[in-house]
This record gives sequence, C-alpha cells and structure tokens, in this order.
Amino acid sequence: MAIEIPKSLAELPTTEPRFVGRGMRRVEDAALLTGRVQFIDDLVLPRMLHAAILRSPLAHGRITNVDTSRAEALDGVVAVVTGEDARRWSYPAQSSPDGWGVHCIAGDKVHFVGEPVAAVAASNRRVAEDALELIEVEYDALEPVADPFEAMKSDSPRVLDAQESNVMMDRTFTWGDVDGAFSQAPHVFREKFRWNRLGANPTETFGCISQWDPMALDLTIHGSIQSPGMFGLGRSASFGLPSNKVNIISQPHGGSFGGKGGTRGCDISCLLSRKAAGRPVKWIEDRGEYLLSGGSQAWDRHYDVSLAVDANGIVTGLKVILVDDLGATGEGYGAISAAKPLAAFTGPYTIPVAQYDLKLVATNKLPCGPYRGMGPPPHFFVLEQMMDIAARTLGEDPAEFRRKNFIPADQFPYTIPSGNEYDSGNYDEVLNQVLALADYEALRADQVRARAEGRLVGIGVASAIEPGVFDWNAYAIVGMPGTGVPEGATVSIDVLGMATVRVGFSLEGQGQYTLVSQLVADYFGYEPEAVRVVQLDTQSAPPSFGPGGSRLGVAITGAVLGACVRIREKMSRVVAVLMQTEPENIELMDGKFLLKGAPGAEMTVAEVAGTMLARSDLLPPDIDPRPEATHVWTAPGRTPADEEGRAKSYLTAAHAVHIVQVEIDRDTGMVEIQRYCLADDCGTRLNPDTVEGQTEGSVVQGIGAALLEEYVYDADAQPLCTSFMDYLLPTVFDAPKIEMVAVVTPSPFTPLGAKGCGEGAMHTTPAAVMCAINDALAPLGTAAREVPASPNRIWKLLDDARGGAHSSSA
Amino acid sequence: MKSAPFEYAAPTTLGDALEILGQNDPDDVKLMAGGQSLMPLLNMRLARPELVLDLGRIPDLDSIRETPSGVAIGAMTTKRTVEESELIRSQHPLFWESTVAIGHPPIRNRGTVGGSMAQADPASEYPAAAIALDAELVAVSAAGERVIAAEDFFVTYLTTSLEPGEILTEVRIPRCAPGTGWSFHEVARRHGDFAIVGAVATLRIEAGVVVDPRLVIFGAADRAIRIREAEAEVAGQPAEEEVFARAAARIAQAVEDPLSDVHASEEYRRHLAQVLGGRAFRGAAERATHEGPGV
Amino acid sequence: MTASPPSLKIRMKVNGDSYESEIDPRMNLADYLREELALTATHVGCEHGVCGICNVLVDGRTVRSCLMLAAQADGREIRTVEGLAEGGKLHPIQEAFIEEHGLQCGFCTGGFMMAICEMLERNPSPSEEEIKDVVGGQICRCTGYNSILRAVNSAVSKMSASRP
Repeated sequence: MAIEIPKSLAELPTTEPRFVGRGMRRVEDAALLTGRVQFIDDLVLPRMLHAAILRSPLAHGRITNVDTSRAEALDGVVAVVTGEDARRWSYPAQSSPDGWGVHCIAGDKVHFVGEPVAAVAASNRRVAEDALELIEVEYDALEPVADPFEAMKSDSPRVLDAQESNVMMDRTFTWGDVDGAFSQAPHVFREKFRWNRLGANPTETFGCISQWDPMALDLTIHGSIQSPGMFGLGRSASFGLPSNKVNIISQPHGGSFGGKGGTRGCDISCLLSRKAAGRPVKWIEDRGEYLLSGGSQAWDRHYDVSLAVDANGIVTGLKVILVDDLGATGEGYGAISAAKPLAAFTGPYTIPVAQYDLKLVATNKLPCGPYRGMGPPPHFFVLEQMMDIAARTLGEDPAEFRRKNFIPADQFPYTIPSGNEYDSGNYDEVLNQVLALADYEALRADQVRARAEGRLVGIGVASAIEPGVFDWNAYAIVGMPGTGVPEGATVSIDVLGMATVRVGFSLEGQGQYTLVSQLVADYFGYEPEAVRVVQLDTQSAPPSFGPGGSRLGVAITGAVLGACVRIREKMSRVVAVLMQTEPENIELMDGKFLLKGAPGAEMTVAEVAGTMLARSDLLPPDIDPRPEATHVWTAPGRTPADEEGRAKSYLTAAHAVHIVQVEIDRDTGMVEIQRYCLADDCGTRLNPDTVEGQTEGSVVQGIGAALLEEYVYDADAQPLCTSFMDYLLPTVFDAPKIEMVAVVTPSPFTPLGAKGCGEGAMHTTPAAVMCAINDALAPLGTAAREVPASPNRIWKLLDDARGGAHSSSA
Repeated sequence: MKSAPFEYAAPTTLGDALEILGQNDPDDVKLMAGGQSLMPLLNMRLARPELVLDLGRIPDLDSIRETPSGVAIGAMTTKRTVEESELIRSQHPLFWESTVAIGHPPIRNRGTVGGSMAQADPASEYPAAAIALDAELVAVSAAGERVIAAEDFFVTYLTTSLEPGEILTEVRIPRCAPGTGWSFHEVARRHGDFAIVGAVATLRIEAGVVVDPRLVIFGAADRAIRIREAEAEVAGQPAEEEVFARAAARIAQAVEDPLSDVHASEEYRRHLAQVLGGRAFRGAAERATHEGPGV
Repeated sequence: MTASPPSLKIRMKVNGDSYESEIDPRMNLADYLREELALTATHVGCEHGVCGICNVLVDGRTVRSCLMLAAQADGREIRTVEGLAEGGKLHPIQEAFIEEHGLQCGFCTGGFMMAICEMLERNPSPSEEEIKDVVGGQICRCTGYNSILRAVNSAVSKMSASRP
C-alpha cells in the first residue's frame, strides 16, 4: 500500500504547524547539560577490562618478531593479542577498495606509523599502557613512500605486498565532448591546487566496549558510533559472523563529522574479549591515537584543473585531474570520498561537459577516512578558484560571472553532466540575498579605499552545491554494492495517548530527537515534550543508517511521517467503525479525528488509542488494534550507475553563496576575516535553529580548513602533528560573526520539501576564504593555491612577489 | 594517554623538599610546579620520573612582596595571582602583559611563575620578559642560595642553568627607571597559543635620544635572546622610524639557529623576528614619550 | 613486576560531598572523578590541556582536571558539572545554554560552563574581551562558538537579574 507522506508543511494535519518549521528548546539539552547522558566512556559493565594498543613507530617495515611474554606476566593483564590472533579470528577490512584491506592488527608488515601491532586488555588503562611497554617487537625497516607521485612510479616501494602497484584506481570519467569544448574555447584556464590532510576531530574520540559471547558466538558492542547499522555489518564482515549475531548499541556521542573511525580499534577490542573468555573489553581511543591513527585524516589531494570559457564568459567545459593520496589501504572509504564529487561535479553552473581523471594512490600514511562533506569540499575549493581565475582574467566581477553561469531557476530538476539530478533551486535569488546582506557595492568601494592605503583587503564570492540524502548507487564505480540507504522509525501511541518513537540512531548533536518530537507533535496535536524518543540497538531497530551525507533530517522525517500516516489510516478506520461511517468521511486535524460535515462528532487521538488498546472488542477482527506503525523511508527514484558513473545518486541539492572579506597583514602573512555573510537554501527548514547551528559550526570548520588545520608528514612518512599543539582547531577567536539570510526553495521530491543540510558550509567556506585571500593578493600578481593558507605560506607568497629579496637577508 | 607509574611526594617546607631531592638520583626526580607543562609530558610518557616532587604545598613559595628595588615573586605563585595583582599591573606592566598573554585562564590558575622560568620553553613569554627586565632568579639548594641573572639562567631549549639539587624559589624583578617605555608583541597561530615569534623591548628617551634599549626575541631560536646588535643601533639615536628600521634589519642575522617546525620555517621566523623587533621598539618609544615617569 | 604499586590516601569534597580514597599516585583528577567517584559529567577530550573539556573548579578556580593529579586535590573543594543544578533546578548558566542553543552534541559544554562559572562568580559584569578570553580557552567542534557567546551573555543577564 503506497502511503502519501506530506510534501509540505501545509499538508500536515494542522491548521498551522506549531512546531515543525520553527525553533524550540531542544528536548536533548537538559540531560546533556546536567551530565545525565551516557557517553561510551561513562558506561561500566561488570568484569570489564580496559584495552591499550601498541602501534608501529615505523611507516614501513617487516615485523620479524613479537614477544608478548613479559606483558602477559604483568599483574592486572588478562589478555594480549597480536597479528597472529587477528589472522586466526578475523578477516581483512571490507571498507577498502577491493583487495586493499588488511587485518586490524599488522601481521608480517606495517604500512603506516601508528598501525596496531599488538594489544592488551587489563584491569585499567594505566596498567594496560604499562603492559604495552613490555611487548617487544622487532622490525626490519623498509623504505617508505610518502609522496603519491613517487608512489605511482614503477620503482616505488610497494605499500601492499598483495598489490602490483600503489595505484588503487586509475580511471577517467568523460561526460560529453570535452576535447571538443576545450579545443573550441577562446579561453582555457589551467591551474594546480594542493589540499592538505585534515580531519574531523570531534571533541569525543572513538570508544567502544566489545563483548564476545563464547557460547552463543555473537558480539555485543557498545560504542560511540555514527552509523550503527553499517558498523554492525562491518563487524560481521570482520569476524565472518552472520549479520544477526552482531548487536550494536550506539551511545550518544560527542560529534562525529564522519571521522569517528574506530573500526580497527573495535575489532581489536573484540579479539581481546574473545581471548579474555568473553569479558567485556573497553577501548577508549585517546587523542594522541586519534590524531596519529584514527578516523582523523581526510582529503590529501593534488589537483590539476582546467576550465574552458567562451567569448561571452560562459563556462563550456571543466576538467579535473585528481591524485588522491588515500594512505596505506584506503580503508576509511577514501574511494567514496573521491567519487562523491560526481554528485555535484559542475557545482551550481550550467557547464555542459566535464571530465574527471581520478587516481587513487596508496602511500605509507594513515588511511584516509571520511570528513564532513565526504569529498566535495576540496572539489569546490578548486572549482570556485577556477571561476575566479576566469573572471579576473576576463575583467568580470566574480559575483556576476557566477550569476550568468548559474543554472536558471526554471530548469529544475536539472541533470548535470556527471549524471546526478538537482531537485530544485533559485541560485540567482540566493546570490541577490547575500549581495544585499553584505552590501557588496559598499564592500568593493571600501576595498578601493583600503587598497589606496596599501592594505591587502580581499573579497571572495563563492557558491557551492551541497548534495544531500545519498544512495550507494553511484559508488558502484568504486566497488560498493548499489543498495539504498533506508531509515526507519516506529511510532506508537499508548493507552493514555502518549507517543513513543523508536529510532535506530543515537544523539550526535544535530537535534534529531527534537525534530522527531516536533513532527509527531504536529501530526497528532501533542506538545513535543509528550513525545518520547527511544533509541534501539541494531538487533531491534528498524533499518537505519543514521546521520551522514546530509540525509538524516530528510530521511527521519520521511520515516516518522510515514509511520504517522500509517497510524492515522488505522485510526481513521477505527473511528469510522465507531461512528458507523466510511473511513473517507473521517479527517484528522489538530489532534482530533472529525466526522466531516458533522461538527461535534470527534474523538481525540488519545481516545482513539485508548479504545484500540483497551476495547479491541469493539473493533472488527480485521483491524490491527495497535496504534503503532513502522515506516522505512528510502530515497525514491534512484537509478543504477552507468559505465561513466552517471546516476541519480543524491536526492537533494542545497545551495549557498558566501561573501567573505579578509585582510592580510603584509608583514606577518596573518589573515583576518573581517566580514562573513552567507545566503543558503536548503528547502523547507524543518527546524531553523538546527539549520543555523549546523551552518555556524560548519563555517568555523571551513575556516579551520582554510587557515589552520593540517596533518604534516615528513619525507619518510613520519607524522609531525601528534597533539593539539600541532594540529590546530579553530577557537572563538577564529570565528567571525556570521551574518546569514535564508532562501527557501522546497524540494519537490522529499518529505515536507526539506533538503539535506547537515554538512553545510563545509562545501563553500574553504572556497570563499581562499577566493577572498586571492582577491587580496591579486594586485601583487600572486595567488595562494594550497590550504591551509597558513601565515608562513602567505608570507612566502608575499615575499616571492617582492622578488624574493626578503628583508631578513639584508 | 596515562602516565607511567611514579612515587609522589608533596613536602610542606623547602627544607623537606631539598632533603627529598638529596635522597634521590636527580635523574629520577621531576619537580612539579603548576604541572601545566609537566602533566602533558607525563600523560604522553615523554617524562618518566621515578618520583614526582610537588612543590605546591610549600606556602612560602607562593608570595608577591614589594622590595626596595622592585618586586619578589615566589616561584610557586600562580600566573593568575600575578594577573590579579594590582602591584604588578601598575608597577611592572611589562611583566603583567607577558602574564596575560600566556594560555588561558584555567592554565594560568595552575601555571606558576617559577615553573615557566624553569621550563625555559623557547616560545614562552616569561623568559623574554625576565631578560628584558634584568630579573634575577633565586635558586636554593642544600649548599645555600644562588642568585642568577636572567640572561645567564636560560641556556638552551628547555634547559636552564639550575643544577641538580637546586630549586628555583623566587623571581626578583627590579622596577624600571622612571620614563621607561615598554612593548610586547607576538605572533601566534591562534590567540593564546605559544608564540611563533615574539619580541619584548624597553627603552628610555632622554634629551631626544634612546637610552638603555633592550630588545629580546623569543620563539625564534632555542631560547629567548637579547639582540645587542639591534640595541646598539638605537642607543644614543633619536627615536625615529629610520633608526628602528635599521635596528630591525640587524635582527635576522642575530638569530643564528632559528627553529623550524610545522608552524613556521626558519626564514619565516627570522622575518617575524625582524618585524616584531621593529614593532616592539616603536611601541616602547611611544610609551616612553607619552607615559611620563614611573612606568 | 611483583612489588605492590604505590598508593596514596586522599580526601576531598566534591560538590559538597566528602570522599576518601586510596589511589595510584599517577592518577589525574579527571580520571579520579570519573573512575573512582563515577562522576562522569567531566569529560576528557585530549589529556594534554588544550581542549578544556575537562574543566572543574578547585577552590573556586577553573582547572584542567587532566593536568592535575588527584593527589593535588587532596584537602580541596571541587565543583563539577554535576554540582551546577540544585534540587532539580537548572543553574542559570545551563538555562542560558538551552535557550541560546549553545550546545549541539554537548560533550564540550561542561568545560565551558565551569570556566564561565568561575568568571561570573568573580565578576558578574565581564567585558566582551574578558568573555572571549574565557571562551577562547575552550574547544567546541559543533557550534562555531557564536551561540556559546550568546549563551554567556544570556547567563550574565540572568545572574545579575537574580542578584539583590
């Protein structure tokens, strides 16, 4: 039976929504603020042990001997595991490109600094770390390869013995007559860019408590886990267990941003639990481990980009050559991150043809993992700078140059050359709104005055698309099976009319439980506080992916409203029977079931639920007497990818334009952000406070990416950023006041017309900041093409522009 | 990140502390002041003493007292106490300014004056201020007391001239001569971080020329260093932009072995030293001419 | 290793309650509160003093509990997040954070609240610079800080409104 999920706020059974579409006090907050929420490290299980992991100090080497005897003898140590145990009891990681996965503990070879080589479970973490120091590991050092261009050479050290080269994938996607467009274009611009490794760094690192049951041969894992369902399937694959023998309980967790990681550490804690005869083993990844060897690093990229532009300033072609250093094994879904740009390859522009020459390369560095945006942010960083290079060369204003290349509002749904379909948009309006907000003309006038004073002031205008609500279909091109991504919810109303919603994901920060309360409250006329949201473990929950890929707001809305619709239909049939009429004469409005045309003939939701549950004798036998339903929502209309990777992959396309003003200190190279304005359109805003929070948070993460955050490796693949003294996260001093204006172009395809918006400004901010920096540098004839644009890098550009005769050599 | 095992002692008098030091091989003991530098090293197992000797229960070491020539600050006085001291703020503004540039309030609540001095981090503000102000550091051992001039105290990267068995007990800061102008500048990646490079300058202007200039650069080399070449360039000269620029130009060469790390290259550090040295001289000159006596 | 590990007797007050324990001297205050006293609202983010998430108040002063040994807290009065709300009523700082959406995942918020507590208890009318100095010592990855500043400003009004 097809059910009709409301496509707009107007279609909710309310005179006017009291909650959806508005901000409110979050239902999650009081518990979070008083410390009553149980994060993974707050959980203690009986007879629990604590794990610590010994890690390779070498980037590349053979393990010639491992002696754990002294560690095993230490008081308080209960179990020790090595690569031998991993080979005996587990399988190589499935999250790598085919053939590139390795076991969670290195066996005969280490591939990156920080790779686990042994682990201990002991009475507490202090003793466990003491025990690590008693484990003797002997290595034969091998020459490491740190540079992907070196790694591509045939004589390079080979990262993985099982592979014939270090190239995981080498593929060119061509969409349309790209050669023709470039050969005919009067203007072709080409530039190289470098995006350095950076990553999520949620304030809470990964943690888990794993429990192997030696009788039932199953695993129960509590953890700080973004996508419990997927994590469970991964553990099944790791241990060759049937999928119904792994139960994941995801704890509320301290952010994730894609980069929680933890799969190796979790597998190791499972091995330890098995070795400890089934005692639960807790592993809390410390910050040092996270930075060195966690889900912490993403996007180590070398770009070579070309743009073809016609005589009227219209972009006619885009070519991107990407060498993506995925680290040793690519086990953090790095291949997906490289492929995701297909979902929005040409950005908000009408560029008709494009090409993506993609090389995924292995080096002796940490395997890259996901980070907010999952691939597009660096892609837009390069595309937007190319747009600026073109605009500047042609003497056009960057905002107007973009405007004339925007997809017009009347052309949606719009299919881009790489195959995805953008659902809706009004890019012109978004641009207009931000230009007005920023008073763009005044900014430019101020810039003229500042330049006359010799100040380096720059204004950047950048625009990007945030693909939302992903499907796995496009990732068939990197070997992922093409399944959908469902999200389910069970709504039930009890005998007193109180509602409970059961979902499969835990708190991560995006206010999803509040959203769920708002939806049910408006659907059935409750106050949100009367709705209880409960998280189920994977063995009980409906299918759930959880947050990620800017999907959950839309997906959980679909799931919850779908369940509400199903309950409404059941209840309508009950009311019809009780009122001796047909169901089509019954209407739900503002929490009451009404008989059309008979004022006064009504029943409250609570009355109906009470009747169903307590007086099922009054109901005909074919009516299910439970005021409860489960609905699983999956994005509609997804298509399989063709041989060029074209597919309807991401259901929604949110859009934003940012305007940033910066000033560069000529003497120090420090960049100050003086003004930050943005307009964004993510369709119907289900909870504007949540959207604003995601936007502000992602802008600051984007500033971190543009100016501060970098994982540095030396030429021998030794990591140099191993603490928060080296890896710099933005603080309040790095966060400008963010001026925001919203445009709403609902999606025609989604529940309530909402679009995915969680990854947010990460798509646009690094591009906008860099465009502003380059606008500041333009009069000096130099440009910054590498992030982060640290003071040292900027100063070097300034110094070289002065002829390299920097005053310090006088 | 859990510390390796150690024994712990927290004596309540300096005498007891010295006795414990005497009973142990100095290589086995780490003195704990505020712990803001030591605790991370312990947590990361980069420091692995057999014994941590905590000076935090010795009340005599936590004090600020005015002396005829200036102020004497007990080594275990927290930076927060210094920050909140009206005496320091009004009479020793350079030292006060250096204090509030350090870290953040929770770090200053525990971090001590003596701890920072003894830590001798090349990027730390305190050693530079101490050198610029001609401070003296008092070290006590079983053999008695030793007074060390600031410039002799900081030897190299994380190394002072304290001998094994010595405990730093006091930092004595002389009052500046009336009319002294001072200035403090630093560049850090983020507000509150250790400086990439910083500069501290003091000088007086008498009869239109610069008198007794001091310039100390920190963060550029293995320790805070006085740039005498730059001082010589401004001494006896009018307090003019040209003079300061000439002086600044001498700084880069004076930084012999600049540090290089993930945040800044050698050449960038040299350059910053020059820029900030110039700014520090200019700032000191402005304060000297505009602020009258008794700074 | 057969020698028994070193141990230390300590006693302290936490949120008004007295505790006495015997601990491994190397145990830091954060781990002591969390492991020995099961007061887990003090979270740990980095264990080297940069993120500020582990802040507690020791004798009224904000301290990074990961950078203090439990032994150093002997004889002192500690206040943690658990001590903010009283009798089921939220502290004005907590109310302010809810109203201004000053938290998303909530993992770092305790660290901010304790630092803000010290500031407002000593200075009920902090300047914008002073507020930024306190907020600037803490890391949040979710909010981008603007909403936290709004929460602090709201807390300032609330706490001065409740003063006679």
